[in-house]
Amino acid sequence: MAETKKKGKKKEKEPDIVFFHPDLFEVPEDGSAPFLKGYRCKKCNQIDFPKISPCPNCWGEEFEMVALSREGTVYSATDIYIGQAGMETPYVFGYVDLPEDLRIFAQFEADVETINCGDKVEVVEGIIRMNNDGLPLKSYKFKKINE
Amino acid sequence: MKFQRDVYIAGVGETDFKRQKTDFDALGRQAAFQAIKSSNIDKPDIIQSAYVGNATNGLVTGQTVFTSLGMCGHMPIINVESACSAGGMSVYCAIKDVATGLTDISIGVGTENHSMHRASGSAFSPAMTDIETMHGAVMTGKYALRARRYMYETGATIEDLALITVKNRKHAANNPHAWFKGDISVEEVVNSRMVAYPLTLQQCCGISDGAGAVVVCTKEMIKKLGIEKPVKVNGSVVRSGPYHNRPRDITADDITEATAEQLYEESGIGPEDVDILEVHDAFTIAELLYYECLGLCKKGDGLKFLRDGQATYGGQCVVSPRGGMLSYGHPIGASGAAMIASQVKQLRGECNGYQVDPIPKIAMTHVTGGGLSGTEHAACTMHMLSAAW
Repeated sequence: MAETKKKGKKKEKEPDIVFFHPDLFEVPEDGSAPFLKGYRCKKCNQIDFPKISPCPNCWGEEFEMVALSREGTVYSATDIYIGQAGMETPYVFGYVDLPEDLRIFAQFEADVETINCGDKVEVVEGIIRMNNDGLPLKSYKFKKINE
Repeated sequence: MKFQRDVYIAGVGETDFKRQKTDFDALGRQAAFQAIKSSNIDKPDIIQSAYVGNATNGLVTGQTVFTSLGMCGHMPIINVESACSAGGMSVYCAIKDVATGLTDISIGVGTENHSMHRASGSAFSPAMTDIETMHGAVMTGKYALRARRYMYETGATIEDLALITVKNRKHAANNPHAWFKGDISVEEVVNSRMVAYPLTLQQCCGISDGAGAVVVCTKEMIKKLGIEKPVKVNGSVVRSGPYHNRPRDITADDITEATAEQLYEESGIGPEDVDILEVHDAFTIAELLYYECLGLCKKGDGLKFLRDGQATYGGQCVVSPRGGMLSYGHPIGASGAAMIASQVKQLRGECNGYQVDPIPKIAMTHVTGGGLSGTEHAACTMHMLSAAW
């Protein structure tokens, strides 16, 4: 038994394909463009991102998922040279304003010194960090729209 | 808070701020004992309640501070955590006890040892359960976003921001409690290591260790203790940060504006009357924004206020006379209490070598706390103090 254990090859860990929060982001299996998930409160119609339950406006507890606009405008951005423990630097993050009157904090799929206030960006799927097993963790990111 | 009776400060204490091998409890004890002794208290059973602000040093921090002062047993000791606002909030709690008649004399302490409890080399972030944190948010970066937007809207440059560090280090030049102090040029600030664009290392508060403490009491107690220079607490306000997931102006600060408005109303003292101010200058951009948020100048005039010398000696209001967090470093749970301690000493004319002249009559302190998704800050604590002798 012990012998078998020693010989037994340790199973390689699979990349972490699970988004850290399933309510945030959808990458359709049919290959169509990914989108952020907004939640409309059925009682007061307020749309929130991320999902907040109960609704902070009216305490409604029923929601309808709405696909948020894929394109937005950079409100502000910064290049991070000293980041969180365990995160490779530099990385770029900031706020993106969407037409649904929502502001999204996100990492940018971008090199430093390339993202500016007022830039048009679109949401994409990307790797935001490594998980606790050292494997890539995917989530939403924003990328500059080539004009 | 609405005071039901007048509250005074009897004595204060502060340690040196720098990287220290002394743990948080010893630092807290040093500041607390200094505050107690300067309040002419000579027995361990006089103080009736204690609040201890701390953020990262563990559990029952307050009891750990007070045990060897022989002050555990007779009074409640409440441990207060609200990130960078914890020390200010502990003083608020002590004031609340006296203002409401629950006690006649109480103490608020803020203490923190960062360097022994935290490996350096990475930046502070909000809790890991937070969506923004998961996506890489760090506090330096969140302030950098404010700086970047301010520069975009006003045309301010990194050199402009650097002026804040230059001013505060100059204020601290002869302050024995300050860590980074003296002459530094705009070029040195701008050319130091980039942390989060446009914030360079010399525009960020250092990770330091220290403590501050404030003894508050009634007017009768001031007489009983024979305090010659009592400082009156004209106002004490704590607020929580409003949640938004919608576009908002981050060159303003909703929580600071609301807290200041409440403080001005409750104290009956307006921004134009404030002689000295300790503000949450964890990063250069913060101080600049807060001139405007606190109403020291009009919205958009922050840079002009700075350049015209209105924030230094001889100006409208001396901002960060002790040198601020940019000179002290920022042991997060300690800073709010240490700010109050140093302002009291300024009002009493006890700051040899860094005393504001003429001796100020009215002092204000401001400290925010933490960050969460959708809030600029989780907490804000402000105090208004005046000379009362």
